[in-house]
Amino acid sequence: MDLLEPDILLQLLIGGLLAGMLYALLACGLNLVFGVMRVINLAHAELMLVGAFGAYVLFTVFGLHPLLSLLIIVPLLFIAGYYLQSVLIERVVGRPMLTSLLATYGVSIILINVGLLLFSADFKAIPALQGSFLIGELAISKPRATAGAISLLLTVGVYLFLERSRLGKAIRAVSEHAQVAAICGIDVRKIRMLTFGMAAAMAGAAGVMLSVIYSFWPGSGVDFIQKCFAIIIIGGMGNFLGAFYGGILLGVVEAFVGGFASTQWAEAVAYLLLVTVLLIRPTGLKGVARV
Amino acid sequence: MSNGLQRLNGRWVSAVLVTFVLLAPLMINDYHQSFLLQVFMVIALAQAWNLISGMTGYVSFGHAAFFGVGAYAGALFLTWGFPWWLAVMKGAGIAALLAVPLGFLTLRLRGPYFAIAMLGLNEVGRVVATLWVDVTRGGTGLTLSPELLPSLDVKYFTMFGLALGATLLVAWVHRSRFGLELRAIREDEEAAEMVGVNTTLNKVIAFVLSAVIPGAVGAVYVMYTSYINPASAFEHARNIEMIVVVLFGGSGTVWGPILGAGTVMVLRELLWAQFPSAHLAALGVLLLVVVLYLPGGLISILRARQQKRPDARPGESP
Repeated sequence: MDLLEPDILLQLLIGGLLAGMLYALLACGLNLVFGVMRVINLAHAELMLVGAFGAYVLFTVFGLHPLLSLLIIVPLLFIAGYYLQSVLIERVVGRPMLTSLLATYGVSIILINVGLLLFSADFKAIPALQGSFLIGELAISKPRATAGAISLLLTVGVYLFLERSRLGKAIRAVSEHAQVAAICGIDVRKIRMLTFGMAAAMAGAAGVMLSVIYSFWPGSGVDFIQKCFAIIIIGGMGNFLGAFYGGILLGVVEAFVGGFASTQWAEAVAYLLLVTVLLIRPTGLKGVARV
Repeated sequence: MSNGLQRLNGRWVSAVLVTFVLLAPLMINDYHQSFLLQVFMVIALAQAWNLISGMTGYVSFGHAAFFGVGAYAGALFLTWGFPWWLAVMKGAGIAALLAVPLGFLTLRLRGPYFAIAMLGLNEVGRVVATLWVDVTRGGTGLTLSPELLPSLDVKYFTMFGLALGATLLVAWVHRSRFGLELRAIREDEEAAEMVGVNTTLNKVIAFVLSAVIPGAVGAVYVMYTSYINPASAFEHARNIEMIVVVLFGGSGTVWGPILGAGTVMVLRELLWAQFPSAHLAALGVLLLVVVLYLPGGLISILRARQQKRPDARPGESP
């Protein structure tokens, strides 16, 4: 097999773009939280897994198709995120960043291990979508295409919400300058709770998409949070669009490294990218945060 | 005077603890001796983490990687015919060799970025150990034949020595100018730089010292379990334990990590021995409680109480 054949390159590119869209959905939520409250949520990938296991339970117990379970999981995670913010994260906003890192690390430890108690360390998968779309010489796996497309739709939807709606503008205002936003009459606390709710809902949706493509276990979050960090540092911390482009970029680079070298090296790409960027620009490529 | 009193108290407590540890092997069974060995291990690891993260405020989420490297080095040098103590030193040395370049690379980054860069280190270690099959035998792991291993008493005292050495190191750093500079970095790095503290060099020295200890501990640990694979060498739970033990006991202090390690290990033994996940979930809750309500750790409660007791400082004024 000649790897440089155009068909194979195109195949890798499409695979990478699709994976990248899922990464983008996940990383955009993380960056939204960071932008609004300068908190790096180390539990973000575990919120994603809550979504994945939610879809798993709904599928195995009620036979609900994962795409339909989105309608249940997204609102549930929004509510969970909203209250997680009001009970816990609100207390660490404005404190030194290491405090919020440690607090969200605590949340992630709890979620992982409660997950292990409930679901054991076995890998789970949802065999709901299978097969491939065949377009000429190309074969695109149905689950990947579906997950990529839905992730893209959701990310664009959130972006439009942030750009166009009044509430979205309020969120961006708090992200720009919380004090000025407060003076303008924006309920900053409420905005933070909404933001965390939205980010959790995005993570949950990403989890449902993940459950369609990959097998997962309660400890799967580590790989994803690492990728998210690489993405948001490449794209600029707190920058929503930056996280989107960063996610797509990581997906494509991983696909090509996976195609030309090995999938295990592809797993290391995120970490190598992250460390390289941090070494060249210790505050990230488009760092907005002074820390 | 309260300082002197604390030091005196500290001396009594240490004398009692050391006597107990030295006599324990004569009085207790192997199971309890193994338990104590594990307590020493957690103390040594906690003090190592304390040295970099407690002192400088640079939170390392990946320190267990040095433990894993030391464990593999220890196992390999033992199978290559080196005596056990040399294998332990190799474990420490190789961890240090890795820490020097890694420290210079990552410690230029400010707090949160350093934390992010370190978060994946343990994972990288696990992947390398899995892929480097020629040396590590990949997922199969390395099994040490029993005739190569020192006796339980030797391992027990070596681990105790490491815990003691790590504690003394922290105590020395605490009092030295070096420790003062580290704490200056923790409080305000830019200000420290401005008054002439070589911040990067100081941080790297602290980092390398804090990597040597887990390296040696890992090598002793592999002789204790006589088997190592990528998952057990680079266990994420070990990171969690190090962090929570130090913060729970009192980070940046000499006694805090000992107190934290003792409490957490006894709790684990009594409550969670059968349920490792429940133990870790409980550690997560503990971490939240400490971060939100008890930033000074257990030791801060004890100190507050000691200072309140009026008879604790007779003749003292005002």
